[in-house]
Amino acid sequence: MLEVKDLQIYYGDAQALWDISIRVRPKEICTLVGANGAGKTTLLKAICGLVPVAAGKISLLGKDVKAVPANERVSLGLSMVPEGRKIFTGMTVEENLKIGAYVNKVWNRKEEFLGKNYDLFPRLKERRNQLGGTLSGGERQMLAIARALMSQPDLLFLDEPSLGLSPKFVDHVMEIVRSINDQGVTILLVEQNINIALGVAQRGYVLESGRIVMHDDAGALLANPHIKEAYLGM
Amino acid sequence: MFTLPIMIEQAVNGLVLGSMYALVATGLTLIWGTMKMLNFAHGEFYMLGGFGTYFGLMILGLPPWLVVPIAVFLIFIIAFILEKSIISPLMGKPGWDISTVVATLGAGIFLQNFAFKFWGGDFLNVPYMFDGVLRIWGMAFAWHRLYILALTLVVIITFWQIVKRTRFGLALRATAQDNEAAILMGIPFRRIYTITFGLSASLAALAGSALAPIFSVNPWMGMVPLIKALIVVILGGLGSFTGAILGGFILGLCESFSVLFLSSGWKDLISFSLLIIILVIKPSGLFGAKEW
Amino acid sequence: MDPMPARKLLLRLRVANPATLWGTFALLALLPLLIHNDYYLNILTICLIYAALASTWNLMVGYAGILSFGHQAFYGLGAYFSAIITIHLGVSPWLGLPLGGLFAALLSLAIGIPCLRLRIAPYIAIATLAFSEILLVICKNWVSLTRGEMGLSGIPPLTSFRLGDFLTLNFGSGSKVPNYYVMLGIYILAMLAMYWLMNSKVGLALKSLREDQDAAASLGVDITRYKLIAFLISSFFAGVTGAFYAHYLSILTPESVFSVGEMVEVVAITLVGGIGTFLGPTLGAFTLIVGLELLRGLEDYRFMIYGAMLVIVVLLLPNGLLMGFHRSVTRIKGLLQFGKTK
Repeated sequence: MLEVKDLQIYYGDAQALWDISIRVRPKEICTLVGANGAGKTTLLKAICGLVPVAAGKISLLGKDVKAVPANERVSLGLSMVPEGRKIFTGMTVEENLKIGAYVNKVWNRKEEFLGKNYDLFPRLKERRNQLGGTLSGGERQMLAIARALMSQPDLLFLDEPSLGLSPKFVDHVMEIVRSINDQGVTILLVEQNINIALGVAQRGYVLESGRIVMHDDAGALLANPHIKEAYLGM
Repeated sequence: MFTLPIMIEQAVNGLVLGSMYALVATGLTLIWGTMKMLNFAHGEFYMLGGFGTYFGLMILGLPPWLVVPIAVFLIFIIAFILEKSIISPLMGKPGWDISTVVATLGAGIFLQNFAFKFWGGDFLNVPYMFDGVLRIWGMAFAWHRLYILALTLVVIITFWQIVKRTRFGLALRATAQDNEAAILMGIPFRRIYTITFGLSASLAALAGSALAPIFSVNPWMGMVPLIKALIVVILGGLGSFTGAILGGFILGLCESFSVLFLSSGWKDLISFSLLIIILVIKPSGLFGAKEW
Repeated sequence: MDPMPARKLLLRLRVANPATLWGTFALLALLPLLIHNDYYLNILTICLIYAALASTWNLMVGYAGILSFGHQAFYGLGAYFSAIITIHLGVSPWLGLPLGGLFAALLSLAIGIPCLRLRIAPYIAIATLAFSEILLVICKNWVSLTRGEMGLSGIPPLTSFRLGDFLTLNFGSGSKVPNYYVMLGIYILAMLAMYWLMNSKVGLALKSLREDQDAAASLGVDITRYKLIAFLISSFFAGVTGAFYAHYLSILTPESVFSVGEMVEVVAITLVGGIGTFLGPTLGAFTLIVGLELLRGLEDYRFMIYGAMLVIVVLLLPNGLLMGFHRSVTRIKGLLQFGKTK
């Protein structure tokens, strides 16, 4: 579904990511974990086209997307729930969702997709006419996810969805991630909290100081001594 | 001297003046809200609106209902091209908030002198589009001025509908509120910028065209409206659409009534002092630097 | 995707190395020896006037962080104050220069202190613009003091003095060279004051703190004090320049000093030359004013081309001439190095 090969990414004049190679298989939940500042968000942004790529390949569904401008990647089936949610605080919940369906291929069917999202997120339906700025942190996360789903993506990125949420809510979010995946959406989850990430993903990559240091099945990673020591504090 | 009829006449004059300020200021705030830049050639679009109207009415002898839309449309095209060729490339590079100032400044100077070259520096008269005066209750209101009020109302309502209900309006608001998130939604922000810039110029051009018969046209007529529009935008709150409109009317009314007390030379003092007072007390303006 | 806004560039106001600075001063001092034509000397004097205005504006914007659109206020205040006290009170024009500067600096506090509080660039821009426009209105309408739009004429030129037994220096309208040197002196003093400020303790600290205005604030109240000093140096020298202008031209009208046109000129010059660089504004002043002069042959199209040139320059060199020059020099150096190692 997604293949990234030997990506080199700079932040200004300094190199931030080296030799990144990642594969995300169709219909799976894959995760990218690492400490704060390791470069996870930068990588996601680069794949989305928000950050320039100095060298390397990115292909989505077998198609090379490096030359495709960021705002056209959505039409190819990619969608992202950004770090910090970035919902439109000046717009209502419903408007936020509608704008998620901006691209041509889904705009005409937006009412239908709106309905589907309201079924998945009843809380949002209750608040459909409220301004985004009035929602709580957890509700904003719901909104951000729902908004990203409006374009009916094949591949969904989630950047640190657990940030700032209560543990109960985090469980709720992960449940939703699972159910989205059940419906056929491939997911790349970026998380600081390794427990959560490996609890829901099948495979994972570990990013440290700008490089991929290991990748394996979730179970194997959880059992890995380095992981246990560095990230799980054991 | 301060009889009710006179007060009402001044109030209407104030609203007419204010509506023009509102239109020009809305254009400015539109660009600021979406692109986060100040367009220093904005006054020149106002001026081109005036000159286009002059040219159409006086030189070509066409009727107003034909001239105004065509002139506004042509200026939309000019602004569109300007944005695409000059501003867009600059926006993508570092230091854009300064380089766009120089670029729009340069474009403004170019346009002013273009007008000077082709139409000279004298004030040129433009005929009223609606002759005659409405007389009620001992007061006289020029029909043209009432047309201005009506026009402004129509424009504001249309604009509001576009922003609130259309797909473009939604995309515009998204781009203004969070550029990066908007890109993730698939919004072609560069195209939005270009269209927004064109729309902003159209608003200024419309104002220029409407006021041309009242103030006459000359190449530098855009400078004062630009300064006044800047004041209104700050008064109403940067980025606030409502603020620009209400701020425009408030400024217009203030200026209109101050003529009753001060000689016209000093009237500008009122607007500028009002501005400084607002900035000191509530810098975010009457309505706060809002998102729309 | 989110290009670094220029604001961050500004706080990194670059300082010229002393050699370049003194070299520039020497070059400027030599010019009258090479150019004898009165007409061109006048142009060069005007270049110096705008170089001083633009450099002081650059200091205010880049150092004090005040994006002012009312620099012409200080220019005009200095001009009118000096003109009025020399005409009505018989004060010597030489004294009028610093007094004009002091008057401008004093009044500048009225807008400077609130602006240091305001912090948000567009608000400061508009407040300073309003301040300047208010002064324009007052100047035009307080006819008993300023003669309004008719302006002041017969402003005494700088009084002549004797140098030894042989030389009497005149500053009347015929004497371009002495006037040039006076303005050069004012310009040099202004630049030295800026240089001193930027090499002071806080100046250096600010430079090392690069882009973060808030982090700089954690250094304490000192920062605000130095910003205020920068602001006052800026307005003082703008005022002195204005006073010089009054005595150089001998006539003064409100529009010639207080109008927004002056501001536009200063902004264009600074941005073209390179905002945030030390000598950029000077380069910009000479380039644009001499350039405009060279376009004189094109009569009607002159200003159109001027406007077009502004656009073209900024498209090609968004960071200004000086930075563009720097980059070319660096690139050439790089090529030369490469050649050597091969």
